[in-house]
Amino acid sequence: MLALLPMLQLKNLNKSFNEKVIDNLTLAIPSGQVFGFLGPNGAGKTTTVKMIVGLLFPDSGSIKLDKLPAGSLAAKRLTGFMPESPQFYSHLSAKEVLEFVGTIFGLERPLLADRTKTLLQKVGLADSAKLSVRQFSKGMLQRLSFAVALINEPKLLVLDEPLDGLDPLGRLDFKKLLLNLKKTGVTIFLSSHILADVAEICDSVSIINRGRILKSGTPKALTGSRFVSLEEMFVETIRQDG
Amino acid sequence: MVKVLWALTVNTFRETIRDKLLYSLVGFAALVIAASLLAGSVSLGQDVRVFQNFGLTAILVFQLVITLFIGTQLLSREIERKTALLVLSKPISREMFYLGKFLGLALTLTVTGVIMGLIFLILVFAKTGAVSPAALFAVIFIILEVWLLTAVGMLFGGMTSPLASAVYTFCLALIGHASTTIWILAQRSGSVVRGILEFIYYIFPNLEKFNLRNDVVFNLTPEPIQIGMALLYFTAYTSAILLIGLAIFRRHEF
Repeated sequence: MLALLPMLQLKNLNKSFNEKVIDNLTLAIPSGQVFGFLGPNGAGKTTTVKMIVGLLFPDSGSIKLDKLPAGSLAAKRLTGFMPESPQFYSHLSAKEVLEFVGTIFGLERPLLADRTKTLLQKVGLADSAKLSVRQFSKGMLQRLSFAVALINEPKLLVLDEPLDGLDPLGRLDFKKLLLNLKKTGVTIFLSSHILADVAEICDSVSIINRGRILKSGTPKALTGSRFVSLEEMFVETIRQDG
Repeated sequence: MVKVLWALTVNTFRETIRDKLLYSLVGFAALVIAASLLAGSVSLGQDVRVFQNFGLTAILVFQLVITLFIGTQLLSREIERKTALLVLSKPISREMFYLGKFLGLALTLTVTGVIMGLIFLILVFAKTGAVSPAALFAVIFIILEVWLLTAVGMLFGGMTSPLASAVYTFCLALIGHASTTIWILAQRSGSVVRGILEFIYYIFPNLEKFNLRNDVVFNLTPEPIQIGMALLYFTAYTSAILLIGLAIFRRHEF
C-alpha cells in the first residue's frame, strides 16, 4: 500500500512563455515506479522537468515531491537530475565534478570519495576519472551526468532525454543501469522520445503534446490489441491531436 | 553552509584562474608597472611622483580590464552555457550560488591585485627606500573598487548578455570616476540639469572615494576618517548592489 503513495505529484500545472507551454497538467507517480514522459519535440517535456527540479517556476498549480514543494532545498536533497545536453565546468575532471556536486549535497569526505569511485566505475568512467571534461565525448558527458544524478542516492531520479546522443552500446549499458536502479526502489521520471527503450523500462507512461496529457497507462495497456508497438500508438495519438 | 559557500568560491576562483587571458593581463600589467619607472625617469625632478601615479593608474586599469573581461562575464556565461543548471538543480539556494560566484571573483581580483600591488610596492621601496601607508591603502582601495564593480557586473550579468554587461560596467566605471566633475557641474547648472546631475551623482558609485593617487603622489597620509568613510561607502554600496542582483537572480528562469 505504501509503495502506491505518490512520490511525485503535479497538480493543475500551467506555464506560459508568450504562449501556453503547459496546460493544466496533472500527474501522480507512485513511489518506486519508472514513469515514461513521452512527447514530440516542443511538447513541454523539458519545461515540466525543469519545473520539477526548480529551474523554472510554474505560473499556477503545484508540484510536490514526497509531499515537499518542488524547488525547495528539502525536495532537491531527494532528487537526482540529469538534464538534456548536460554541461559541466570545463576546468574540472570527472572526479572533481562529482566531488564538487557531492560537497553541495553535504557529503562527508570519506563517503564522497567512496561514492565517487563507485559511481565512476558504475558508469564506465573509472579510467577517465582524472581527465578534464572538455576532452569528453557526448556519450561520456551523458554518463558523467548520470553519475552526478546518483551522487546523493536520490529517492527520485529525473532524467531528461538520457538516451539522446548515446550509441547503441551506450544505450544498452544505460538501460541496464536503469533496470538495476529500478530494483532498488528508486522512482524514475524519464522524459524521452525514444519509444522502444521506454517501453522496455517503464511501468507506466504518459503522452504529452502541446502541454496537455493525451494518454496515460502502462505501455502494454496503451498498445492494447490495436497497435503493434508503443511507437505506432504514439504516432497515432499525436496525429489525432493534430 | 560555509563548506558549500567555500566550495562555490573555490570553484569560481579555479574557473577564472584557468583563463589564459588572466595570465596575459597580469603579465602585461607587471611590464607596464615596471615601465612606469621609465616614465618617471624622463620627467624633470618629479620622477617618484610620476612613477607612483603611473604605476597606480596601471594597476587600476588592468584590474578594471580583468573585471570587465572575466568578472562581469562569468555569471552571464554560466547562464548562457547552462553550467548553472548543474548547481542550481542541487540543494543550494540561489543566494548562496550568487554569493559564491561573487566571492570567487573577488578572490581572483584580490590575488591579481596583490600581485600587481606587490610589484608596485617593491619598486617604490627600491626607488625611495620606503613605502608610505598611502601607497599601501591606494592598492587596497583599487582592489575594493573592482570588488564593487564586480557586484555591478554580476547585476548586469544576471539580466543581459556577457558583452552588454561588460559595456554597462565600463560605462558605470567611467561615470563613477567622473563623480567629482559631475557634482561641480551640477552646482553650476540650472535647477532641472542640476537635479539630473545630482541624481546621477548619488545613484552611481562614487569611485573617486577609492582614489588615493593624489595622497601617494603628494606624500600625504590619508586621514582615518577618510579611510573609514570609504570603507563604509564600499560596504553599503556593494551590499545594496548584491541585494538587488540577488532579487533579480532569485526569479531568473533557466
